[in-house]
Amino acid sequence: MKTGSKAKERRQNFLIDIILMTVCVLLLLPLVMLVANGFKTPQEILVWPPTLVPNDPTMENFYRVFSETPLFKWIFNSLSFALLSMVAIVITSTLAGYVIAKFQFWTINVIFILFLATAIIPFEVYMIPLYFQVKALGALNSICGLLIGYLVMSFGIFLIRQNVIASVPDELLEAARIDGAGEFWIFWHIVVPLLKGPIAALSVLAFFQAWTTFAWPIIVLTRKTAFTIEVGLANFQSAYTIDLALLSAASAAVMVPSVLVFVLLRRSFVEGIAASGMKE
Amino acid sequence: MSKINFTKRLSAVVCVASSLIMAGSIAAKAENIVIWGGFPELQGFYERVAESMKATHPDLNVIVEPIGLRDHEKRVALALSSGLDETTVFELIGSTANRYIVNDLLPSAPGNISAFVNNGANFDPFFQEVAAVDGKVYGVPLFRGQGALFYNTDMLAAAGLDGPPKTMAEYSEYAKKLTKRDAAGNPVVSGWSLRLSGGGGGIAEKFWINLHQFGGSLLEKSGNGYKASYANEAGLAALRQYVDAVSGDKTVTVEMPADAAAFQREQTAMFIRESWVIGDTAKKAPNLNYKTALLPRGSIALPVNLYVSGGSEKAQKAAWDFAIEANKPEHLIWMLDNVGWLPNRNGVDYSTVTKAKPQFSAFVDIPEDYVFFTLPSIEPINEILTRFAAKLTDAYANSALVGNDAAMMKVLQESAEETDDILKRAGILGK
Amino acid sequence: MLNKKQFWFAIIAILPTFAIFGWVRIFPIIETLRLSLHQWNLLSKNKPFIGLENFRELFGDDQFFEAIVNTAAIAFGAMAITIPLSMVLAGVIYHRTRSRFAGFYETAVFIPHVVSLVPAAMAWKWVFDAKLGPLNRLIMAFGGDAQPWLFNPVLAVICIILLVSWQTLGYGVLIYLVGFRNLPKSVYEAAKLDGANGIQSFFFMSVPLLKPITLYVSVVTLISGFNVYAQAFILASDTQGSPGRLVRVLVLDMLENSFQNFRVGYAAAEAVILLLIVLLLTAVQFGLLRQGRRK
Repeated sequence: MKTGSKAKERRQNFLIDIILMTVCVLLLLPLVMLVANGFKTPQEILVWPPTLVPNDPTMENFYRVFSETPLFKWIFNSLSFALLSMVAIVITSTLAGYVIAKFQFWTINVIFILFLATAIIPFEVYMIPLYFQVKALGALNSICGLLIGYLVMSFGIFLIRQNVIASVPDELLEAARIDGAGEFWIFWHIVVPLLKGPIAALSVLAFFQAWTTFAWPIIVLTRKTAFTIEVGLANFQSAYTIDLALLSAASAAVMVPSVLVFVLLRRSFVEGIAASGMKE
Repeated sequence: MSKINFTKRLSAVVCVASSLIMAGSIAAKAENIVIWGGFPELQGFYERVAESMKATHPDLNVIVEPIGLRDHEKRVALALSSGLDETTVFELIGSTANRYIVNDLLPSAPGNISAFVNNGANFDPFFQEVAAVDGKVYGVPLFRGQGALFYNTDMLAAAGLDGPPKTMAEYSEYAKKLTKRDAAGNPVVSGWSLRLSGGGGGIAEKFWINLHQFGGSLLEKSGNGYKASYANEAGLAALRQYVDAVSGDKTVTVEMPADAAAFQREQTAMFIRESWVIGDTAKKAPNLNYKTALLPRGSIALPVNLYVSGGSEKAQKAAWDFAIEANKPEHLIWMLDNVGWLPNRNGVDYSTVTKAKPQFSAFVDIPEDYVFFTLPSIEPINEILTRFAAKLTDAYANSALVGNDAAMMKVLQESAEETDDILKRAGILGK
Repeated sequence: MLNKKQFWFAIIAILPTFAIFGWVRIFPIIETLRLSLHQWNLLSKNKPFIGLENFRELFGDDQFFEAIVNTAAIAFGAMAITIPLSMVLAGVIYHRTRSRFAGFYETAVFIPHVVSLVPAAMAWKWVFDAKLGPLNRLIMAFGGDAQPWLFNPVLAVICIILLVSWQTLGYGVLIYLVGFRNLPKSVYEAAKLDGANGIQSFFFMSVPLLKPITLYVSVVTLISGFNVYAQAFILASDTQGSPGRLVRVLVLDMLENSFQNFRVGYAAAEAVILLLIVLLLTAVQFGLLRQGRRK
């Protein structure tokens, strides 16, 4: 190892950090404006160009958001919905993704194409027949009704498939089969541990898909107490105008649990990867 | 692995907890009625009405659920087509409700309610017509959206103008005098803010308001149906006014701030809009000096009525009673004062409100000869407005149309053909 | 090769997922697509069969073609930005995994993906403002002319592309990071001994090895791009007095036809065309980014 290279590496890293910091700040710039909007009085929200730092900051919007709306209830509803959806999607996607990746029979391939094709049509377009089914089951205004739309995720299956192709070598499976292991055993003890990273990523994506979805909950949930966050926030849009200050305050408040969940989930999967040992 | 177990345990707990909580929140009381509204700002109003119903209906539990209009309409469509479990009172714009009525999805109003609505002392024929189909009453009128001119008195005074414009020609004149320009001659404050871009049919609706002042109309009844009626002198006059404003006199441009926000920032001197601007301005620009004025000929009026469906007969009766209760003068005056929408009921004395907020006068003190128009209750009305709006957007931005009456007429004719095609496809093109 | 026992395992393992899919996705979609051959106004009880009439009308509908062109532009534009940018960003962040800022980078990039769209888009409207937005100020600082970003038909599409990319960048970075972390270390050790530096090993080794991941990001970004809807709507809204041009996209057209024009059959025909186009494009991507089976 050349003597100057450690210092060179540190300088390089420093430069990279500067660039990454700049990129992150640029990406977060619109959100800074969003948070700023939450602290503005009605008069100041009118000002154009909008001020990045409010001249006359007020806590009124946050106060109103928490006292006039059941925001905490909404967060709780979204949390339970997103968690349950996440679990269901991870289970169905991992098994299906593995099968589609490694068992390339004609039937299975057709099933994969079907799965992927269903992702092309946006949910809003075909949710009407599903709505009638949910209503017939009496599941409106409930988590079950919400979940029916979010039990499976085509992209989740696709993600696991790609990661299995990239990280699970055939010979490993062959070796286990030669040793006499059953297929389910192979899946559980060999494949799943190799998929810790993708499974964690999938958990994050599935969680936030349910967290931010709007079109399905707005028709399934008609009671304010049953709302998820996105549906509740839609209430700040009145007939011809959007109450931007209140909406921004509410969105800013909701960013806190969002970031917390992401940090929590991320921590668990970064550690998960470190523990699973690097591949050869 | 342990992470998955932990998650499973956590979610099981959460599932049980949430189903308990959700079950508890939908409390089962003696009688439930739900109010579905498309205007979240009316939450307080409905809660007041519910409160005042407690005296006569002590067991009644009123649940108020307003959401944004677009989503409200979607929700109503889905609920009505699959049947409502609970008695629901919902707000619907008259033309929207018509669709449900002709498909037998809304019940007609009971006798006492019909009598209330048909009573001329309560409502003008204009509103009675919108609440009924083929003479049968289906809904109870509540409030309406209506346009009027808003103008900045300081700016008018500074330009030496005395009072609001009274004819469309004066509107254009005022626009020229009120526009403030920069060194290069580009407008920085528009004289008259016009709706020049944006989504949906709003552009077409605003164009129709102007067209109405010239004596024209977007659609007119013809035989058994309708046909496009804007490819004529009135339509040309209206389009010419827009084109001149944008590309001729340059009193307004597409990129300039527009609408209520621009008016509140004093970036425009006048504009035409609905009454909600008054409440909005009181919050955001309380020191703005402005007045309102009637439009030269008349205005659009979009009446919103209350309809009832679903649930038990007893609950439905209570629901209709709610609709009547909502029309009590004290509630209507509160609505006007606090929310800004215009109640439809006759014979209510709004002077307390108009004295404190004189800007409401142009909305509620209507002269006898003021001509209202509304969107026809036909299925393709939204499509007609949206497609016309797309053509108008392009026309407004097209500076080659200035002074070129023939080209402008061509735009109108092509658009009218499109409108007629849509009407034909829907089977309602008149002779 | 795979034998019978494995075939049955595959079928049994995939059956529960397939059953759920059948109920919540395949059945409603087939119902919806079937409607393309009918005429239905969402409310009436009868849905007369009209054969290919909807499709015939679609081919003469200039609004529909406008929607296809806009949507395709947005989808490809978003792909062109997201794929390379998220791969590079993920690579760089991965390089700095051991830094204490790694968590901050990952979180910061991901937040745009989860924040509520409406208030975030309002902030973007400010960025794009014709007179005073930071984007135009930046352009003018470099000597260019301020552009009417939200009003010009072409520029408005670019605005949406930027907004969509901003949202999906974090998604792509997350996926690529997982991909980077699962790359075999041994190959890199060998390359380093051969004298390859960071950038070379990135281009000649990481990129090809990440092909399956790239296929994923590419397909997902394209499909999501074709599904764009709320972004177009919000950027055109006239809140705060600054309306924008409404960029007509496919989903907007479909929902408008379903819920406002009451032509559910017609909207379903649009959905069929969308399905065919995107299915074709997806097949092309699979072909282009095909990876030989690992031995």
